[in-house]
Amino acid sequence: MTLRERLLRLRYNHIPDHLIGEILTKRWTDNAIPFVALVITIAIFGTLIPGFFKPAALSDSTRQLGEFSIIVTGLTIVILGGGIDLSVGSNYAMSAFAAVITFFVWEQPLWVAFIAALGVGLTFGCINGYLIGYMRLRAFLTTLVTLIIGRAVFDILVIKYSTQVQQSQMASDVLDFIADETVYGVSVAVIIAVVIAAVAHVAMTRSRPGWHILSVGGSRRSAHNAGIRVRRTVFLTYVISGLCCGLTGFLVACRLSGAGPGTGAYLEIWALTAAVVGGNSLGGGRGSIVKGVMGAIIVLVTMNGLVRIGTGTGANQMALGLMLAVAVTLDIRWLKNRHKVLDEVYVTPVHHRMDDAPSALPGSGTPYALNNAISRTEYIGLEELEGPEDVILDRDDHLYCGTRHGEIIRFFAPDYKKSEVFAHTGGFPLGLAFDQAGNLLSCVGAMGLYSISPDRQVTRLSAETRRTWTSVVDDARLRDPNDCDVAPDGRIFFTDSTTRYDAHEWALDSIEARPTGRLLCYDPKTGKTTTVLEKLRYANGVCMAHDGQSLFLAESWACSVHRYWFDGPKAGTLEVVIKDMPGYPDNINRASDGTYWMAWLGMRTPSFDLALRHPGMRKRMTRNLPMDDWLFPNINTGGVVKFDETGKILGTLGDLTGISHPMVTSMREHKGWLYIGGILNNRIGRYKIPDADPNWTAPVAYWGEKP
Amino acid sequence: MTRLLSHLTQEVIVFLLAATLFLAAAIFLPGFMFKDGAFQAGNLIAMVRAVSVLGILAVGMGIVIIGRGIDLSAVAVMAMSVAWYLQMLNSGVPGWQALGWALAGVVAVGLINGFMVAYADVPAIFVTLASSYFVYGFVRSQLIVSDATPAPAGSWILELPNLGLVTSTHIPIDVYAFGAAVFVGFLFLRFTKWGRYIYLMGDNFMAARNMGVPVRPMTVLYYVISALMAFVAGILTTSSIQSMNVRVVNSNMLYDVILVCVIGGIGLSGGKGYMRNVVVGALLIGIMGNAMTIMDFTNVEQNLIKSIILLTAIIIDGLLNPRDEQTAQQGDI
Amino acid sequence: MRLKQTLAAIGLAALGTVTLHAAQAQEAQDDPGPAAYAAALKGKRVVLVPMAMGFDLAQGWNAFLKREVEAWGGVYDSRDPNWVTDAGTQALTDLVNSEPKPNVLVVHSPDLQSYSKVLKKAHKEGIYVVLIDNPMNFPADAYVGSDWDRLGQLEAEAAVKGCANSPKKEIGLVQGDAANATSILQYNGIKKVLAKYPDFKIVAEPFSNWDQTQSRTVTATMLQQHPDICAIIDFWDGDAVGAAAAIKEAGKKDQVKLVTTGGGAASACKALEDGTYYAIVMTDVVGESRDLNAIIKYLLQSGQPAGTSKTYIYTLEKATTKEDLRPGLCWSVEDLQAGKF
Repeated sequence: MTLRERLLRLRYNHIPDHLIGEILTKRWTDNAIPFVALVITIAIFGTLIPGFFKPAALSDSTRQLGEFSIIVTGLTIVILGGGIDLSVGSNYAMSAFAAVITFFVWEQPLWVAFIAALGVGLTFGCINGYLIGYMRLRAFLTTLVTLIIGRAVFDILVIKYSTQVQQSQMASDVLDFIADETVYGVSVAVIIAVVIAAVAHVAMTRSRPGWHILSVGGSRRSAHNAGIRVRRTVFLTYVISGLCCGLTGFLVACRLSGAGPGTGAYLEIWALTAAVVGGNSLGGGRGSIVKGVMGAIIVLVTMNGLVRIGTGTGANQMALGLMLAVAVTLDIRWLKNRHKVLDEVYVTPVHHRMDDAPSALPGSGTPYALNNAISRTEYIGLEELEGPEDVILDRDDHLYCGTRHGEIIRFFAPDYKKSEVFAHTGGFPLGLAFDQAGNLLSCVGAMGLYSISPDRQVTRLSAETRRTWTSVVDDARLRDPNDCDVAPDGRIFFTDSTTRYDAHEWALDSIEARPTGRLLCYDPKTGKTTTVLEKLRYANGVCMAHDGQSLFLAESWACSVHRYWFDGPKAGTLEVVIKDMPGYPDNINRASDGTYWMAWLGMRTPSFDLALRHPGMRKRMTRNLPMDDWLFPNINTGGVVKFDETGKILGTLGDLTGISHPMVTSMREHKGWLYIGGILNNRIGRYKIPDADPNWTAPVAYWGEKP
Repeated sequence: MTRLLSHLTQEVIVFLLAATLFLAAAIFLPGFMFKDGAFQAGNLIAMVRAVSVLGILAVGMGIVIIGRGIDLSAVAVMAMSVAWYLQMLNSGVPGWQALGWALAGVVAVGLINGFMVAYADVPAIFVTLASSYFVYGFVRSQLIVSDATPAPAGSWILELPNLGLVTSTHIPIDVYAFGAAVFVGFLFLRFTKWGRYIYLMGDNFMAARNMGVPVRPMTVLYYVISALMAFVAGILTTSSIQSMNVRVVNSNMLYDVILVCVIGGIGLSGGKGYMRNVVVGALLIGIMGNAMTIMDFTNVEQNLIKSIILLTAIIIDGLLNPRDEQTAQQGDI
Repeated sequence: MRLKQTLAAIGLAALGTVTLHAAQAQEAQDDPGPAAYAAALKGKRVVLVPMAMGFDLAQGWNAFLKREVEAWGGVYDSRDPNWVTDAGTQALTDLVNSEPKPNVLVVHSPDLQSYSKVLKKAHKEGIYVVLIDNPMNFPADAYVGSDWDRLGQLEAEAAVKGCANSPKKEIGLVQGDAANATSILQYNGIKKVLAKYPDFKIVAEPFSNWDQTQSRTVTATMLQQHPDICAIIDFWDGDAVGAAAAIKEAGKKDQVKLVTTGGGAASACKALEDGTYYAIVMTDVVGESRDLNAIIKYLLQSGQPAGTSKTYIYTLEKATTKEDLRPGLCWSVEDLQAGKF
């Protein structure tokens, strides 16, 4: 390698700039803008206000923050559900008043006051929810009206009873505790706020009602059509908001030991500002509780901070207005453009150099020289199939293959004219294998490893492996499970081709050429999946060797085949069997004469090989050119290669016409015939192998004669 | 009967309510229309006058709402622009120059609102909420010294009320101004292509955009109109009470402006409503306010009654014209 | 080592005795007052929390206190909740918990109730609480300001006087709101006086919510309803401009006497002079601020625990009419800041 190439390697293979893209795919980066705003706000006021971070000052001053956060949490849930609740201001005041009058005037125990506050909040929430959820009135207007009504009722009542409240002799230790004390320096209000925010966060992200709320907010009509009870869900959001107000009302009643005409005035605007500064999008569906809470902190710290540093009248509104405008604009631009940025930076090619391959040209004299052997095959399921990536035959000679539509089709022996849908998996079935009991195993694209019993029961065996803690993308998930095979002891070895792309984005992975594929092992005894090998360039076909202790593994973008011993004396060793092939290998399967068949999904080209050595060029290509103009691996010509255990190439079968089998992703030998599938093909080809054992079948080779 | 009921839109309901209230007040409330058996126009004029500032703001707001926006900064613009203008006059800035500055400020706020909504794609409710805060805060902290700013003696604003008195009817200038605003708004919406654009945008924004309506400049335009209306309203307020108190920004006035539009029948989802809805809404608020003032109701009680009536109106509307999950537009709140 | 320390200690003690003697010798010649005064007041923190900073009274107190407190060596500060009660409560909470703590809080309360709890806490922390102008249901160390009941009586007396020549003795009220103590107490005071004049009748008593536009609207309606009204009492000159405008527009400036109350800023005198107001019960801001300053200084020197004093200092009030006008009666913030009073 030249020095230049070494430097390129250093730059593109060792600087982890792919992490930027991976971080951007994370949903929590939605919180980036509000979080930065939060840090800046706290930093500014922390430096401007002496003693801002002192625990004593913090614990007492945060009571209001705790109360406010609870309200914002409730409001955020309403906003996420596609509504808005302006009535929080008066709802909170009314709840506070209910608690005050129950405790101070009617002299009931504090818990009754608590129930009274919650009851008022709940009632308000139910009224709003009923009007907006069930009667489908407009949220903005309706809650505006309930806000004014609540406020008016509150003003009338609070004036009427204020003297009585003042003259009351009621006292309670619990009330004083809530109002004045702290637990480990944290006030009760903050503790409750944190608990509620945590519960709400979990509920919104991980529970059915939460998902319903988000889907109603995201698209009401779709949610309705999907069978979600939209009205009840909307009702629920207002009830939650009402309860949050009720709870806050109780807390503020304790803190102030009363309620005055100004209690909760303008709160609705503050809360709305907070929810929005946090970056929750109005109209629903997008946002989070965390954003709401961050917004609450930003708004309250700013408002109180500005009053505290004694800026001129109006300065805090000015700051708040600026903050709101800047935060919302940035947030909206961010959400709008994030995926564009992501598209720009996600593909980060690395330098990859393969040695020159022997020619595969017909007549070139190399073992790889392609011929026209499979240009005329007997077609099975022509025009009926779409994308038989892998094909397999059972003991009764029936033929199975997956299709793009998520089905496994069975063609009946002996003529394979009739077919039926054997099973529906829901995803694109790729690699297939039979285990000892006759269950059909399949790697279902983007879903995981599945097992289909002879009576068509579909069971998921594995959808995740252990998370690598240093990985930014969630590599526990199987994004591109590709091929599988079964060891004699029943363990299933299968490949997951890449952790950075979904199955349909395989082309991007080829352009990037970053080794992220894996060999995984599912152990039916424990039900656990472990990662066996990592850092493979598009791990693809896997096939048990005839010895039962090792397997062959195809690494597509590296154009090589490995042998891995998982048992026996050489357990754990990995050897390169074939390298620098002229084609990209796909599935590997056993042949009747003790050798192996390997499919080539495409052929290397000098131009793409050169491109692989110029990562910068590929990077610019993905940024600056439309996808149509990109340089891809050639997948218009493929073939079938036969090799033995030492890696010696025994022969090839090709289709130079490109009519029957331009690309081959799989082939199975069965009773002297070779069945050929291709992921982009619309047929299965059947080719009579000259001189093959006419009785050999894979199930017998794997598991012996039927018991 | 059902067909008759289905014609009962919110607008009609409100109109019937207003008419009923008006009749009831005229008959049962001494001094509302008849005093000691004699017809008395004075109270009716006072009634219209009390809502004319609200009405002018509602004309601007109505145009914005029809175009599918909302302008929460209207009251702030009204109070702050005029307060700043008066402050400039008081500190000796020449009249025309001060007016020029104030108008430039008002147009700037409208432009910023429109720009943020149209070009930065920020929802109107936030843009105008933010600009309301900012305008109030900036003017209050940087440009004026106290909540109330008096109009300087001899200013043209103080002469405005006399214009009304010149005519023999003794109808105050505010009422003329409200009428003029409604009329201009009517002409604009009805007879100009921009007016039709606004309806198209409110009805179906994407469709309007696809058929080539310049939606972005139009959005900017109606926010500027709203801001200018607010300035006019502010000038009128000052002309009658001779000063501008910026505490009005913190009052319920903004809600009242929205109430006037909505109670009159301008749908918040846009595309529906005419200037006559503003008139109906303003009259209903005016009748109620006037009658309740005669009965010595407190502000709080007035708010309670007004909002209960509005709630009843929207509930009846909801019952008679239910919204459908399949046709409801996404993102409406 | 030990010896060295001992020697040093002895030396220091000796030095101390000498200086003490010297100080005593000095004091013998001087009045002990200034030193005690300075010792008690030096560096004491006074914070004013009005309802808002944007109106005349608050600006008056602020300017006066700032000057005075800084003159006697204290530290003065103010907070502006800008009419938002919750912001006021939070500002007080922050003050009570701040480091260093204020020694005196001067509080202008929005209502009888809202601040009670936090002010109780202030007392617990040893902070004196002085209420200004708005009473509360809270045992503060001192209340300085108007006796609102008395103020209402003065307004009523002025209105009665103004109506002397009118054929019909009808009076209209423009109340503030139903929540504020100042509004309720004024109303009671007015009622008391009018009870003594059976021929006078209150014909309407709407609310302005302290808003000038609202004041104008309700006054206009009132004048329509009762064209023969001879006097209107508006509860605050902040919104009475609205009532005045309505009277003027109705063309009844001569017939209807407008009585109100306020902080006596320059605009009030102007309004008296041009006849907009018939009478205004002025709170003597300068006097009130002086009282405020005095009670603060007293509290700081008294050494008594916070929350034990319970002193009321009512400002002298007087209904001022056009005849009482004299130069310098009204004040302006600029004058106060320039130290003219």
